[in-house]
Amino acid sequence: MAVIVIKNLTYTYPTMDHPALREVSLEVEAGEFVAIIGPNGAGKSTLCYTLAGFVPHFFKGELQGDVYVAGQDIRHVRLEDWVLKVGLVFQNPFNQISGAKFTVYEEIAFGLENIGVPREEMKRRVEEVMALTGIADLADRSPYALSGGQQQRVALASILVMQPEVLVLDEPTSQLDPIGSREVFQVIRQLAHQGVTIVMAEHKVEWIAQYADRVIALAEGEIIASGQPAEVLTDPRLPEYGIGISRYTAVARQAAEEGLWPPHQRLPVTLEEAAAGFRAIEETDYARLR
Amino acid sequence: MRVCVENVHFEYPGGVKALRGVSLIIEPGERVAIVGQNGAGKTTLVKHLNGLLRPTQGQVIIGDWDTSQVEVHRLAQRVGYVFQNPDDQLFCRTVAEEVAFGPRNLGYAPERVHQLVEEALYLAELTDKAEINPYDLSPSWRKMVALASVIAMDTPIVIFDEPTTGQDARTIRRIEHMIEALRQRGKTILTITHDIDFCAENFERVVVMGQGQVLADGPKERILGMVEVLAQTYVEPPQLTRLGMQLGFETTVCTPAQFLETLRRRLGHYRANGLGRSEN
Amino acid sequence: MVERLSFYLERNSPLHRLNPTTKLVVAFTLILVAFLGRGLFLPSLIFLLILAPLSFLGQVGREFLRTTLNLLLPLFAFLFVMQSLFYPGGKTVLFGFWIFAVKLEGVRFAFLTATRVLVMVSSFLLLLLTTHPGVLLLDLTQRGLPASVAYILASTLQIIPQMQAKAATILDAQRSRGLDTSGSLGRRIRALLPLVGPLVFGSLVDVEERAIAIEARGFRSSRPKTSLVEIEDRPLERALRWLCLLAFILALGSHLWP
Ligand SMILES: Nc1ncnc2c1ncn2[C@@H]1O[C@H](COP(=O)(O)OP(=O)(O)OP(=O)(O)O)[C@@H](O)[C@H]1O
Ligand SMILES: Nc1ncnc2c1ncn2[C@@H]1O[C@H](COP(=O)(O)OP(=O)(O)OP(=O)(O)O)[C@@H](O)[C@H]1O
Ligand SMILES: [Mg+2]
Ligand SMILES: [Mg+2]
Repeated sequence: MAVIVIKNLTYTYPTMDHPALREVSLEVEAGEFVAIIGPNGAGKSTLCYTLAGFVPHFFKGELQGDVYVAGQDIRHVRLEDWVLKVGLVFQNPFNQISGAKFTVYEEIAFGLENIGVPREEMKRRVEEVMALTGIADLADRSPYALSGGQQQRVALASILVMQPEVLVLDEPTSQLDPIGSREVFQVIRQLAHQGVTIVMAEHKVEWIAQYADRVIALAEGEIIASGQPAEVLTDPRLPEYGIGISRYTAVARQAAEEGLWPPHQRLPVTLEEAAAGFRAIEETDYARLR
Repeated sequence: MRVCVENVHFEYPGGVKALRGVSLIIEPGERVAIVGQNGAGKTTLVKHLNGLLRPTQGQVIIGDWDTSQVEVHRLAQRVGYVFQNPDDQLFCRTVAEEVAFGPRNLGYAPERVHQLVEEALYLAELTDKAEINPYDLSPSWRKMVALASVIAMDTPIVIFDEPTTGQDARTIRRIEHMIEALRQRGKTILTITHDIDFCAENFERVVVMGQGQVLADGPKERILGMVEVLAQTYVEPPQLTRLGMQLGFETTVCTPAQFLETLRRRLGHYRANGLGRSEN
Repeated sequence: MVERLSFYLERNSPLHRLNPTTKLVVAFTLILVAFLGRGLFLPSLIFLLILAPLSFLGQVGREFLRTTLNLLLPLFAFLFVMQSLFYPGGKTVLFGFWIFAVKLEGVRFAFLTATRVLVMVSSFLLLLLTTHPGVLLLDLTQRGLPASVAYILASTLQIIPQMQAKAATILDAQRSRGLDTSGSLGRRIRALLPLVGPLVFGSLVDVEERAIAIEARGFRSSRPKTSLVEIEDRPLERALRWLCLLAFILALGSHLWP
C-alpha cells in the first residue's frame, strides 16, 4: 500500500518567482527506503518539508497538485499533530535544539513529553535511541556544548525517539564520521524493515547504493531519474547535473574506456560489484595469456 | 611559516578534556587533512592555531609567535580559519562586505583589498551574488561565502573545517580548485574532513585524531591504508583504497589515477610474465 | 559555548530534594515576613539564622554568599550614602561634616531597606541555586501554569546566556578576521557597533529556526503532555507550606496591628 502519493506537485515559495518543485509525481510504499539525490538547490529540502507538512503550513506559498500521506491530504492536516505521523530531521544540524532543556537527555525526551508518553516508557525510549545514535555518554552534557557531529546525532535522536510512521531525513549524516554515517544508514534500513517508511535526502551514494530500495534524482525541481539504486546511480547524466557518483562507478567508467571493465556488464555502485568486475578483468587477462 | 603544536592539552570550562597531549609540526606549503571521529577534538585543535582557544597545557607556535602571547586579531595576519558552521562566521549585510571584512582589518591597501576580494569571489563563483545578504543564500552557498571571506585574507596558513559537507559534486570541484589555487600560491592548507575520498584526492598528508590525541600522522599513502587505526576512530579507508585492498594491490592507492595505473601495471605484468600472478 | 545555562548547581542535598513549590512558597514567605514584620533586625536575622544556614544545608553556601555579595554590595553602599545623608525628617544627628549631617533615622532606614532587599534577593538566589529551572517550571505546569507560559519562561531563562554565547561567537568570528576588539575603551565601544546588527539579526533568524524545530518535536501537539522528571511532594512539605501561610498571616497581623 502506498503511504506517500504525490501527483503533479508544483510548489513555489512566496518569495520566489519560479517553482522549487515542478510536476513531481512519486509513490512510496510502507516500509520502503527511498533516497533523494540531487545538486544543491534541486528541491530536496523542499520535498522533505512538503511531506512533513511544513510546506504549505509553515512556509506558505503556492502548492498545486496532490500530496497524500497515509491517506490524508497534506493541505488539510493540522501541522501540530501531523508531526507525530511524519517526523522530519532538518538539514541544519546546528539549530535544532529546543532551547528549553538543560541536558542532552532532557532534550531528547522533550518531544515525548509533548506527545504525552508515560514516564517509564519515555526513559526506555530515550536510552534506547541514545545508544542507537552513539551518544549515550553525552546524556548529562549541555546540548549547547557539543561538537558538530554530536549535535547532528542529538538532532537525529530527538526525532527517531518519537517513532513516527514516516521518517523524513534531510541530509542526516552531513557532519558524521565515516563509520557513523554508515551506521545511521544501517539503523534506517532496520527501521524500514520494521515497517517505517523512509525518505532521505543524501549525498553519500556509496551507502545509498547499499541500503536504499529506490533512488530519486532531482534537478531544478524535477525528477530526472527514478528507480533501483544501481540503475539510477550509474545514469551517465548524473555528473552533468552536478550530482556526485561513487568512486567505483567513476573509475570503472574510465577503465571501461580502455577496455578494462567487462563488456556488457553494468557499471558498479558498490565495493563488491567493483571488486568482482575488476577481478573478472584480471582473471580473463590472466587466462588469455596462459 | 611553520606551525608547531607541542604537547597541547585542553579542557573546556565544563570539564571536558578535548585534547590530551597533541603534538604536530606542519611545514610551510604542506597540505594536511585531519580526520577522526565525532568529538575527537579536531575543531578544538584548529581553534588553537588562530588563538580562539589557548592550551591548558603545552604550546602552539605559529612562525615565531606563541599563540598564548598574541591576540587573535593579530594572529589573523597569519592564520585564516573557516568555521565548521558558516552561521557562526557570517555577520555582514552583503557577500561583498563579508569578503572584504578580513583584508580591510588586516590593513591592506585599498587596491589590494579590492583585488583580493574580486579573486576570492571569483574562485568561489560568487561574483554574481556579491550584493546578496548571506542569510538569503542556501546553506551550501553560505559555506562558500565563509570560504571566500577567509581566502581573501591572503594568510600564509589557511584552515578549513569541514568544507564539503552538504555540497554537491560541482561545488566540491569548486572547492578543489580553490585548494589548488592556494597551493600554487604556496599556502599551508589544513582541512578537517569526514569526506575521506575528498581527503585522499586533495591532500598529501593525513593526521588521524581520536579521543583528543593524534593516532597516526604521515603521507596519505601510508595512513589511509591503516585499516585498524582508522577504525579505532570511526574512519574507513577511501573507496578506491578499499577496492585496491580487495583486489590485492600491493600499494595503497588513493586516487583514480593511482588506481588505474596500478591496474594497468598489474595487467601488463600478467601479460609480460604470462604467469606468476602476485598474490597477497 | 555555554556550559551553565542557569544558576542551578547539582548537589545531592535535602534542600535539592524539596518540592520546588515548597521552596518557592518558603522564599515568598521569608520575603513577605521581612517586608511586613516589625523590628529593625528582623530581616538580618532571617538572613543570618535561616537563609545562610539553609545555603550550607543545600551545599551551595560558598556560591550563595559570593553571589549575594557581588550582587548587593554596590547597592548597599549607595543606599547607605543616600539614606543616611538625605533621609527626610531625621532629627537625631549622629555626626556632621561640611554641609552634611548623618542622622540616626536615615541609618536605621537604610539598614532596614538594605537587609530587606538582601532577604529578597538571597531567597530567590537560594531557590535558583538548588532548583533545576526545568523542574520548577514543570512543577508549576502541573499545578496549572499553561505549558506555553512555562516554555516562554524556560527559554527566557536561557536567553541571556544564549545572547552572551551568540555575542561571543560573533566576536570570535570578527577577531578571527582581524578585528581588534581589545585595547582602549573607545576602541572597545567602536568594536561593539559591528556586533549589534548581527546579534539582533542573528537572534531573529534563530527564533524562526527554533520555532520550526520545536514544532517538529510536537510542541503544539493537542495530546496531553507528560514529563520526564517526577516531582515528589511529601505530606511533610504540605504541612510546611501551611506553616508558611501561618507565618505570613502573623507577619501581616503584626504589620497591621496598631
Ligand atoms: N525558505 C525558502 N524561501 C524561499 N526560497 C527557498 C527557501 N528554501 C529554499 N528555497 C529555494 O528553493 C529551491 C530549492 O531549494 P532546496 O533547499 O529545496 O534545495 P536542496 O536540494 O535541498 O539544496 P541543498 O543541497 O543546498 O540543501 C532553491 O532555489 C532555493 O533557493
Ligand atoms: N563549547 C564546548 N564546551 C564544552 N565542550 C565542548 C565544546 N565544544 C566541544 N566540546 C567537546 O569537546 C570534544 C571535542 O569537540 P570538537 O568540536 O573538537 O570535536 P570534533 O573532532 O571537531 O568533532 P566533529 O567531527 O563532530 O565536529 C567533544 O567531546 C565535544 O563534546
Ligand atoms: Mg537541502
Ligand atoms: Mg568539529
